[in-house]
Amino acid sequence: MPVGLPMNERLLLGIALAVTITGLCWLALSLDAHWRQVRGPQRLKPANVKLLRALGAAALALSLGICLRVDHPSMASLVWVMALAASAMIVAFTLSWRPRWLAPLVIWIRPG
Amino acid sequence: MTSPHPSPITARVVVSRVAASTLGGYAFCWGLSTLSMSSLVALGMDFDEAYTLVMLIVFLVFLTAFCWAFAARSLRAVWLVLAGGGGAMTVAAWLLTRSLV
Amino acid sequence: MFSSFRHSMTWLHTWFGLVLGYVLVVVFFFGSLSVFDREIDRWAIPSSRFEAQPMPSFDRLLEPAFRSILPDEAEYEAADALVTQPLPPREQLEPEEWWAYTTHRDPVLGIGAGFGLPHPKDPEAHNHVHGSMTIDPRSGKVIPSDQLALGSGFFYPLHYSLHIEWLGLGYWIVGLAALVMLAALVSGVVMHRKVFRELFRFRPQKRTQRSALDLHNLTGIVALPFHFMFALSGLVIFSGIYLPVADTMLKPLHDAHEKEEEAQTGLPHDAAGVPAKLVSVDAMVAEAQRRWAARDMAGDVGFLVVNHVDDANLTVSVYRAGTDRIASVGEGVHFKGTTGEVLHEDPPQTQVSSVNEFVTGLHLQHFKHWLLRWFYFVGGLAGCACIATGFIFFVEKRKRQHAASGAGGSRWVDALAVATVTGMVVATLAMLVANRLLSEDLAGRDGWEKTAFWGTWLLAFFHAALRTTPMREARRSPAWSEQCALIAVLAVCAVLLNWISTGDHLLRTIGAGYWPVAGIDLTLLVGAVMAALTARRLWSSTPRQIAIDARGAAYE
Repeated sequence: MPVGLPMNERLLLGIALAVTITGLCWLALSLDAHWRQVRGPQRLKPANVKLLRALGAAALALSLGICLRVDHPSMASLVWVMALAASAMIVAFTLSWRPRWLAPLVIWIRPG
Repeated sequence: MTSPHPSPITARVVVSRVAASTLGGYAFCWGLSTLSMSSLVALGMDFDEAYTLVMLIVFLVFLTAFCWAFAARSLRAVWLVLAGGGGAMTVAAWLLTRSLV
Repeated sequence: MFSSFRHSMTWLHTWFGLVLGYVLVVVFFFGSLSVFDREIDRWAIPSSRFEAQPMPSFDRLLEPAFRSILPDEAEYEAADALVTQPLPPREQLEPEEWWAYTTHRDPVLGIGAGFGLPHPKDPEAHNHVHGSMTIDPRSGKVIPSDQLALGSGFFYPLHYSLHIEWLGLGYWIVGLAALVMLAALVSGVVMHRKVFRELFRFRPQKRTQRSALDLHNLTGIVALPFHFMFALSGLVIFSGIYLPVADTMLKPLHDAHEKEEEAQTGLPHDAAGVPAKLVSVDAMVAEAQRRWAARDMAGDVGFLVVNHVDDANLTVSVYRAGTDRIASVGEGVHFKGTTGEVLHEDPPQTQVSSVNEFVTGLHLQHFKHWLLRWFYFVGGLAGCACIATGFIFFVEKRKRQHAASGAGGSRWVDALAVATVTGMVVATLAMLVANRLLSEDLAGRDGWEKTAFWGTWLLAFFHAALRTTPMREARRSPAWSEQCALIAVLAVCAVLLNWISTGDHLLRTIGAGYWPVAGIDLTLLVGAVMAALTARRLWSSTPRQIAIDARGAAYE
């Protein structure tokens, strides 16, 4: 809760966090073990593995861009790195306890 | 740095490696920091700048020396480089400082 | 000694991690609390629960306050050794420097003075005795010194010095721990070839040894840049202590540089010995702010220093608070104290200085960014989890063979781990509870609070030692779940006592938007819930856990 920041800056940081979580989710699900946690025994095609990784990377780049819009670069870089850490933990713990919650993020990938 | 016949891990070896990594590493960093600071000043850099720059880097050097003290096969080489090298650099730094002021 | 590079790094990680882990987890935990040290101060000193204030008027408020500061008694006694003639009475020592420091988070103001020692044995040495005070900037009223600021005055110094003052030993232990942290991170990466795969992997349903290792790897990797930079920046911040080259071997270069600087900036290093009067500092502050605004960096005063008080060489230095960037304080404007003219304005930083400011600034956190602060808090707790799960993994891996052979190793590592990890949390909460239970006017209140902290931690240690018997048969010690339960109870007590003793309950503080206190109370409640869940899980899962562990062990 960034108290004291104008509403649009709070919103932007919130969006950046959501985008980071989504990006790391895609990266996590490009790994076989985690894919199976969410989609069961279905195989993930190599093309889709590459796609998920590209999307993940793009999302992380986008969130960095959003962070840079909100703060001075020296601050934004730290915010982004820490957002990665926090988001990775959120994704990891969701995979540990409620993996199906992540299914909507890859619902568009057809079974292969 | 693989060693097909490593020496047994005795208390004496452990104490020596730990001493080399901490005390030897410290001596090496003391020598390196004083020598590099005085060298940079000799080359015309402002003392404060030289001090700040070296302090930013020296702990990474300590980290490297620390790990190397365990990774290296020869304990003798470790002591020679860290303590010996540190001592030599300290003397050089002292001489250089005296010539500068 | 080792058969391979990986083998050497594994050995280093295991044994240095184990030994220094006990220190590191304390440094990390109290470092995490220090992110919100000023907020903890507000909770602990109810009379300071008002909004943060800008630096007050020097002429009207600060100067009288400065003149009422007395040298610290203990330092004064010790200073006897530094002079050739008997010292004048404490109240008669002359001040030589004054400083005032304010942050955007602090309602109260920290001010201090340095008093010169007459007839020093070593004229080149610093030769100052210090005194400090906390005042309410709205009125100049002094906050009594036995009202301990639990955050900035206790938890924060604990994290960088362990409160072990003797020979500065605490600083050195923490420094060694920081170096070992760096080595543990590097060796940890070497040990795990497939780092990316472990980034998201936590399998709590597996046996303890496996799930503890999963969590250890995860918390280590996920915040690796954070852990690395905090250890490194901590070392850089105290580099003057760890490698005191400028005061020893390179002193000639240092002194030569100081003389050069004095000539360039016009800021006199020594006093003139001629008494003089200070003109309006408020006018100087206004001028400094005007200059910052002209450079497109309008800001508040973060730090103010007066040098050579009451002397002809009086200087006043005004520094800008670094709330909007990572650098701590900067853009100093220096004035001649007797006339108010600007002697020197700090030039823009060099590349090297900027990097140093960034590295130290990211650790010292003078910036105003609440999301980043919370991220830091979570990162610090992740570091604690990494170390704690490291202990658990170490014990789980060895407890069966130790139980079989009768060796005590894993049993005592485990007992020490409980005493340190849950013990330090219990001690912290006991201190908060004591803070609310003790009467506001009790003299020497701060001494009682510290006794509550250290005493409780000692009791936690004894509790851990007494409850360790089941470890002899490789069963989990009940001390973990018992101390977790105690944490839950104490945390709730602290919140209730805050309500009872100050009337500030959550509905009121959230309603008023007074987040320093509301945030602490909320965090305490969340912590209580997590501790309670953990305690319950540890207690009830023991039979099932034994079955899983036994099955897992059968496959080894």
